[in-house]
Amino acid sequence: MIQLKDLCFRYRESAQPVLMDVNLEIPTGSFTGITGPAGSGKSTLTYILNGIVPYCYPGDFYGEALIDGHDTCTTSLTDISRLVGSVCQDIDSQFVASIVEDEMLYGMENFGVPHDLIEERVTEALEAMDIADLRHRLIASLSGGQKQKVAIASILALKPRVLVLDEPTAELDPASSRQVFTLLQSYARSHGTTVVVVEQKIALLSEFADQLVIVDEGRIRFADAPREVLAHSEELLRLGVNCPRATTLMNRLAKADLYHGPVCTDVEEAAKAVLEVIA
Amino acid sequence: MIEFRRVEVSYDERTPILKGIDLSIREGEFVAFVGTNGAGKSTTMRLINGLLKPDSGEVLIEGTPTTQLRTSDLAQRVGFLFQNPDRQICCPTVREELLFGFKAIGREDDEAERRVDEAIERFGFDGSADPFLLNRGTRQLLALASIVVLAPPVIVLDEPTTGLDFRECVKVMEIIIQLHRSGTTVIMVCHDMEVVADFAERVIVMSDGRVIDEGPTFDVLRRRRVLEEASLVPPQIMDLSLALSLMDPDLKATPIASANTLNEMQMAIEATAEHVPTDGIITVSVAEASSGAPGAQELEPVLTTVTEGVER
Repeated sequence: MIQLKDLCFRYRESAQPVLMDVNLEIPTGSFTGITGPAGSGKSTLTYILNGIVPYCYPGDFYGEALIDGHDTCTTSLTDISRLVGSVCQDIDSQFVASIVEDEMLYGMENFGVPHDLIEERVTEALEAMDIADLRHRLIASLSGGQKQKVAIASILALKPRVLVLDEPTAELDPASSRQVFTLLQSYARSHGTTVVVVEQKIALLSEFADQLVIVDEGRIRFADAPREVLAHSEELLRLGVNCPRATTLMNRLAKADLYHGPVCTDVEEAAKAVLEVIA
Repeated sequence: MIEFRRVEVSYDERTPILKGIDLSIREGEFVAFVGTNGAGKSTTMRLINGLLKPDSGEVLIEGTPTTQLRTSDLAQRVGFLFQNPDRQICCPTVREELLFGFKAIGREDDEAERRVDEAIERFGFDGSADPFLLNRGTRQLLALASIVVLAPPVIVLDEPTTGLDFRECVKVMEIIIQLHRSGTTVIMVCHDMEVVADFAERVIVMSDGRVIDEGPTFDVLRRRRVLEEASLVPPQIMDLSLALSLMDPDLKATPIASANTLNEMQMAIEATAEHVPTDGIITVSVAEASSGAPGAQELEPVLTTVTEGVER
């Protein structure tokens, strides 16, 4: 369980706090999607979870951030990194090796994973991301989608209890984006790993996340099941968050008193709902 | 204006990237290239601005092969926006960044200064700001502005909306559509099919180093077999209309089955649900859209709502 309690943070060089009055609970093993406008504090929220704030970016930190009961302000960064694995927005800046297998070994060797467990962990992480065939490939020769999966597999091999990803599909095509989300969801469910993803692709988040968090100007505006959050499509648009168009369509039909069912989060749900409307 | 004739490119002998591309892009068009990562889209873009030369075949810009054009000449005809603006930005201030292109072609005259001033005002920049301290969206706008300021007749945009939030995306696309309306040829690589459907007149679908289809945007995005071959998903409203036609074949002859945009679909459903005659519903296709931006009519209310949100 991740708990953020009355959390405020101001970077040392900033006049204004970047996060204010943040209260959020993320259950163990859940898939949480965070979205919101640029500069709203989404990335800082991920830095709170992985300890980069306050260890690498000092500032005024109020409130508490607890990862499985460990307060990130009193737990060492090394210990936080054993609990929380992170995948950066710019994955090329994360790679330290030139071969996929070496990249995976680097983290495990640094974490002191016993040698007799390493082979099993490499195989399992590569299979979880469906890239067992890339094991001996040069990272430079991989496509964007393949690199993203290697970056995630390298972190999964460390068996973190929480996986934090900042815009993991920004440079991926729709099929690769969907595949990465499917693999993440499947891994989280089978291993009880908590997944937190910052992402602009709200249609993907709506489909895969258990909880959708909308951050705006440092505050959490919504934190609920995607269906509940997407019911507020007009308010979300004013915040600069565009709902999936199938959702917007059905919300408009509901406003016009033509549709009375639950909020639709994807095309399949909307298609069934439209047939009801025109029946 | 731009023509590819049997173009082949390989990064090494065993890895062909483009496998015989034939295509042409007319002056003033807004064309989107779509396809999965590794389909060859970015390589195609680099051939247009001369960053790459074909191993075989020809890329012609206004009838001249790119192999016969100097890179500096090509740069004046074709502006190129990289996917990551940080690969493009190199100066300590916004103003110097905007002047950089003029310096590169030896044109540091009053006209250049005037155009830079205009761009600073139009984009709402602080000319003395450090580009590297701007947020991602503003850096993307700066990279775009540094191309726009040179007024090239062709702009090539490699994923112009990647990593941007919705407001930033709308702002970038608003600038691009203005350029297109003023006659600039726009060539865009884009993974966001909603953006493609909203703005592009024509779509070229690439898969595994080949062009597998091309045509008016809404026509191509309705060809399910092509999209499946290219691992693409249509924009949600078109996907919905295709799904509804499959679920209820009686809908195939109705405006619901041909609705391409949110407004069209909403009107078609409302008319059907309320048993209103559907003669008045106009389905705008790309071929019919005189503005050249098929879904742009939906952008304005969105822009208004977003702007209202900002003002509040």
